[in-house]
Amino acid sequence: MAAMSPAADPVLVARALRRAFRGVRALDGVDVDLAAGEAVALLGPNGAGKTTLLTILAGVARRDEGSLEWAAGAAPRVGWVPQRPALYPRLSARENLRLFAALERAGDPDALAEELLGRADLTEFADRTAANLSTGTLQRLNLAIALAGRPSVLLLDEPTATLSPDQRLRLWKWLDELRDAGMALMFSTQSVDEAMRRGDRLVVLAAGRVLFTGTSQEMVAAHGVGGGGDAEAAELAFMRLVTGLPGTDGAG
Amino acid sequence: MRAAALIFRKDLLLLARAPALLLVLVVYPVLVALLIALALQGDERRPDVAVVNLDTSGRTVAVGERRLGVEDYLERLSEDVDVRRLDADAAAAALDQGRVSAVLTIPEGFIADLQSGVRRPALMVAASRRSPIEADAIVRRLEAAVYRLNQSLATGYVNQVLRLVDFVVDGGRIGIFGRTGDALGLRRSRVLVTDLQKRLRAAGDLRSAAELGPLVNFIEETRRNLDLAKPAANAIRAPIALEVTEGAPGREPLSAFGFAGALLVSLGLAGVLLAAAAMSAEREDHALARLARGLISSWALVAEKMAFTAVACLVVGLALLGGVAVATDLAVGRWGLWLATLLLAGLAFGAFGVLAGALARETRSALLIALMLALPLLAIGLLPDSGAASAISQIVPFGPAFDAFQTLLVEPTIDAGDISVTLGHLALLAVVFGAAAALAVSRKARA
Repeated sequence: MAAMSPAADPVLVARALRRAFRGVRALDGVDVDLAAGEAVALLGPNGAGKTTLLTILAGVARRDEGSLEWAAGAAPRVGWVPQRPALYPRLSARENLRLFAALERAGDPDALAEELLGRADLTEFADRTAANLSTGTLQRLNLAIALAGRPSVLLLDEPTATLSPDQRLRLWKWLDELRDAGMALMFSTQSVDEAMRRGDRLVVLAAGRVLFTGTSQEMVAAHGVGGGGDAEAAELAFMRLVTGLPGTDGAG
Repeated sequence: MRAAALIFRKDLLLLARAPALLLVLVVYPVLVALLIALALQGDERRPDVAVVNLDTSGRTVAVGERRLGVEDYLERLSEDVDVRRLDADAAAAALDQGRVSAVLTIPEGFIADLQSGVRRPALMVAASRRSPIEADAIVRRLEAAVYRLNQSLATGYVNQVLRLVDFVVDGGRIGIFGRTGDALGLRRSRVLVTDLQKRLRAAGDLRSAAELGPLVNFIEETRRNLDLAKPAANAIRAPIALEVTEGAPGREPLSAFGFAGALLVSLGLAGVLLAAAAMSAEREDHALARLARGLISSWALVAEKMAFTAVACLVVGLALLGGVAVATDLAVGRWGLWLATLLLAGLAFGAFGVLAGALARETRSALLIALMLALPLLAIGLLPDSGAASAISQIVPFGPAFDAFQTLLVEPTIDAGDISVTLGHLALLAVVFGAAAALAVSRKARA
């Protein structure tokens, strides 16, 4: 069964989250935690419920059942980075940032927009319409918009799915900086390697259920065949986990 | 409010950046307005009327110096309707199948009765039962045609009577009502009698001369009375005259009804489509999910789209009205009321469009839904008051908007109470459709 390793100082505690779409269970009693300065990777195949879980946590979608508690009883500022950029394609990068900064009630939306343009390496594309930006640049703008509300928690839905390797590195460099600054990250991915490298903890989802929560080493130890912490062993452990094959524990 | 203002500004910016859309928004309503106005001010379709002529005698009746027969009547009738000559069975079948609007039967002996002056001839009309409005219009047209024929006959008869009066007064040889003769006439009778009086007096027969006095007086009195008969007969022939004077030469004015219809179709379509596109674009761009995370409430977002549409309708509507005021002879005026009406109509069209836009995931689908909903409802809005169609047009914004447009363009005086009710109706529909749209947006945003 899933090994629960709750976060030490959680900013978010979600318990027994359930959601169904026309009778199909997308989430079936999911528990997750997230601590400040922590990066949690949601790992799972297509249709596992990763996006549904993130949209519920982000307040974009509703939950049918379950509880959602934030640290100190109040919801922190949550930044939401959907897989498909949520912005206005016919506005420029600068105009998008100014608009969302103003909507987030930033004291000085223009100054915040300029700051985010700089942090996202978007200055040279600032006046280009979003529709004319490359995929990687657009994803950086998508992330910059999510940061316009100065969030303490950032939820990212497969942020690197459409990016080239260099674009991925660039994006993760920025996300690592944010995490180092104390921001809590929860991101979904289908890449075991990315989850291992970027996540402090992994939450493995399949068919709307949490199959495992813990570090990659713990996953390999529990579900791998032969131990070790390398990517190949973790990949194998993940495959055994989601296909229901018995691992080290199960093989007993 | 602040968030709505920011989104409003964004929508204006996006609209300004889409020159093709802007052009369509301005040019399309103008083109639609012109087409609708031309269509509505053109000649009405002439109804088809089946004529069953059972009077095959070929007889004619003398009216003045002319002779009128059935063919003359049918020729006059064809000025008002398209005459289809059929036998009785074919005419009944055509009426039943809706191929003619009415059947007019000329009975056997029609002209003979007219000629006799004893029996009053009657034409028989059977109008279609399928459309009471059209049947009523047909009967009125036929009544007007019979009235004109009666008037023509009356004129002929009166002229004959007046010639008879002249004949009685002045005497002479005349042929009238089929008879000819030579008469002395009152004028010459008076001359003869007064001459006889003079000769009797000269002969010393004063008594006989005096006895002729009442006869002279009678002749004089009769002549005077018959002189009065002429204006009286003319008055009977046409008690009320309609004097038609041509207007000042210049541009052809658009009919107020046509322009009201054009304004409804152009603003209704432009408003609904703009609102639907603006709302669905938020969804298509995936921005709605971000906005719905507390940046703006669905109510405020819908209100913003409604206001955006209202401003667009106001600008386009005022441009159309200004163009009409400058380029045609149609009196526009009442600008204060127009301002309120265009804003409220724009809000209502916007709410309707936002609801359509919220139902679709993509802008193209939203536009298709909006168009499919708006077109038939607009057509119903243009129909005259008639039962179910009228009721339907009143529960969507198009009916009351058309009422308001017509009132402002047509009514000589505006009743404050009536226009307030119409504008209140528009405002109520804006609120109802706006609320429905807000609920739909809320459901779609947090699926």
